[in-house]
Amino acid sequence: MDTALEVRGLSKAFGRNRAIDDLDLVIPRGATYGLIGPSGAGKTTAIRMIMSILFPDSGSMTVLGKPSALDAKDRIGYLPEERGVYRTMTVRAFLSYIGRLKMGERSRVDARATQLLTRLGLADAVNKKCEDLSKGMLQRVQFVAAIVHEPELLILDEPFSGLDPLSVRVLKEIVADEQRRGATIIFSTHVMGHAEELCEQIVMIHKGRKVLDEPMSGLRRQYDTRTIRLEPLDVTTDLMALKSVPGVERVQLTDEGCDIGLAASADPAMAIRNIAGTVAPARIELARVRLEDVFIRIVGGGSGSEESRQALRTHLQGLSGAGVAS
Amino acid sequence: MMQRVWMVAARDFSVTIGNKGFLFGILLMPLLICIFVFVGPRILNGRSPVVEGQVAVMDATGSLVSELRLDLAPAAIAARRARDAGPRNPLQRDGPPIPSLAMVEKPSTEDPQVAKNWLLQAPDAPERHLAVIAIHPDAVKRAEGRSEFGSYDLYIASRLDENTENVIHDAMRQGLVNARLKDKGIDPAAVEASMHVVRPVSVTVGVGGERETRRGFSRMLPFLCGILLFMGVLTSGQMLMTSTIEEKSSRVVEVLLAAVSPLELMWGKLLGRLGVGLLILAVYVGLGMFALLEYSLAGLVDPLLLVYFVIFYLLASLVYGGLMMSIGAAVNQVADAQSLMGPVMILLVAPYVLVPMIGQNPNSTLSVAMTFVPPVNSFVVLARLASSTPPPLWQVLGAIATGVVGAGVAVWFAAKVFKIGLLMQGKPPSFGTLVKWARMA
Repeated sequence: MDTALEVRGLSKAFGRNRAIDDLDLVIPRGATYGLIGPSGAGKTTAIRMIMSILFPDSGSMTVLGKPSALDAKDRIGYLPEERGVYRTMTVRAFLSYIGRLKMGERSRVDARATQLLTRLGLADAVNKKCEDLSKGMLQRVQFVAAIVHEPELLILDEPFSGLDPLSVRVLKEIVADEQRRGATIIFSTHVMGHAEELCEQIVMIHKGRKVLDEPMSGLRRQYDTRTIRLEPLDVTTDLMALKSVPGVERVQLTDEGCDIGLAASADPAMAIRNIAGTVAPARIELARVRLEDVFIRIVGGGSGSEESRQALRTHLQGLSGAGVAS
Repeated sequence: MMQRVWMVAARDFSVTIGNKGFLFGILLMPLLICIFVFVGPRILNGRSPVVEGQVAVMDATGSLVSELRLDLAPAAIAARRARDAGPRNPLQRDGPPIPSLAMVEKPSTEDPQVAKNWLLQAPDAPERHLAVIAIHPDAVKRAEGRSEFGSYDLYIASRLDENTENVIHDAMRQGLVNARLKDKGIDPAAVEASMHVVRPVSVTVGVGGERETRRGFSRMLPFLCGILLFMGVLTSGQMLMTSTIEEKSSRVVEVLLAAVSPLELMWGKLLGRLGVGLLILAVYVGLGMFALLEYSLAGLVDPLLLVYFVIFYLLASLVYGGLMMSIGAAVNQVADAQSLMGPVMILLVAPYVLVPMIGQNPNSTLSVAMTFVPPVNSFVVLARLASSTPPPLWQVLGAIATGVVGAGVAVWFAAKVFKIGLLMQGKPPSFGTLVKWARMA
């Protein structure tokens, strides 16, 4: 297998805190990997070590066939979580400078920057100073800076935080284009929906250790919740009556209706027919496994209480608008 | 690697010199020098008003009034001034204006208090009363049994300027000496002529030719070199520190580190700012040379001194720039840097204190010893080179060698701290922590 990134036994401690503990990771060329984990899990530290911005205490890695990212920086695009620009430089000058630092040819870099900025609705901002742009505009400029030199490996740390839905959509399209071009993509994100939508493989880091490294398709199978979601036609119906339906183990009320847990031996098709016969449904479906559920199961697994899991769920849902340091 | 270093250096250089604040700052000092050199002499002396007024004399000797009247005349004042000035100082074009003094005789028996009251006038009085001179009875002929002559008392109006007071003292001295000589039957003019020896301006003879000796400038040159070096090093060092802090606090540093290694970034910034410092010095030295040309003094500066100046500027800048940049990398805002600046400021102030001492005694034991102690040796050896007795070549080469070692150690330290500090956030570290970082990186 031709690998874009291979990490073996990577560890890093800050004082007594082990930020990354014995991390192994292999990412094939052309793949799109999602790096997820709660705040402070060590995602950004791992990325910084991959980028050779931080240096590991132990372990080894190969980045695009080189022993260090220092030898392959020209071929890597990186959008750090903590965004930064030279405030007094114009957008054109900033992108040209970053592109040329990546050994891009000036004319090629400038042409691609113009094309990407136009696509992101920033054609008019080319000659403006960075300090005159809004936060969202700056974020898009920084995204362009990460890909302006057509990298082979693209590492995006919370790329969509702080962006409006329209910009998120355009960015996703550009990321998809980069993938089609053959770039390997590593996403670090808190927003499970983005990871679920864009990534083929999910790697989860928790307390500095890798706790999950699975393809999305495998995750769905592995974490099949055997849950049926029901929205009743009559909202006043007593849904707890469904507990008496054969094969139903539990009923959990939700805002829209309820989630119905099935026994391991129950046939989902039969259960749906029986449930629909008991309560007239406006909508009934077999619940799709969401990455959020997997995340909560792993991260919340140790904490025990349902309240803490619910708090984590609420937290994750609230992250769609803002980046949080990991 | 070098291509990236040059790109970082070129950006830092062009952004800095294109900054309005920098342009203002770099032009301000030459402007002040221009004012000092060209305009200063013209505006400081030329427009002072001529003092006019009366000087009352109470002559108890009875023989000095006519002599004094001659000595207070403007022509006599001008002649004394020309005689005392010696070789002409090219930087001093005009002396203060010659006052116009009218002498008024008063009886020597007048009550001194009444005489003093003569000086108390209304501010708008038509004729200014400037001074009262009370000459002692034994000022021309010694009193019986005394070895010394008597003198005089001088009372002056409250607003009399120092120049006019000096003119009165000089006239009194001249008048008393002449009167005493005449009393002994000696011709004052003959004595004056005998006493006067014209002091020529010495000519320094060197391999490159002959030139007039200018001791004043030679004395100033080591100090000027020290000041210039100090300004260049401090300016570029501070710019390095603040730009590093800005890059860190604006988070752009992580974007840069995705494109260049910490070492490439550090060297790029260091070289860019060295270029800025050299530009500043080129402007200042160029203006200095222009000023020397204006006074036909350009030959006083050895061209080799300029070469040494560049060498020692680069060595000093690497040390101080490296240290200040590492401080910039370690903190998140300028205010945090102050606590770490202490040791660096001591290293900067030490040569500032040493240079005047070394300029006076360029070959003292202290001067020779400090020639080999980096980083102050850049300042020390430059001051010695600029003095009239420069050090032997082996000492200069030794200073360069130790300077290179010092710069190497400073840059090594800076690189280690830079690598760790750039991404550090939160509480600013102590200097001890910086040393720890350097050891662990």
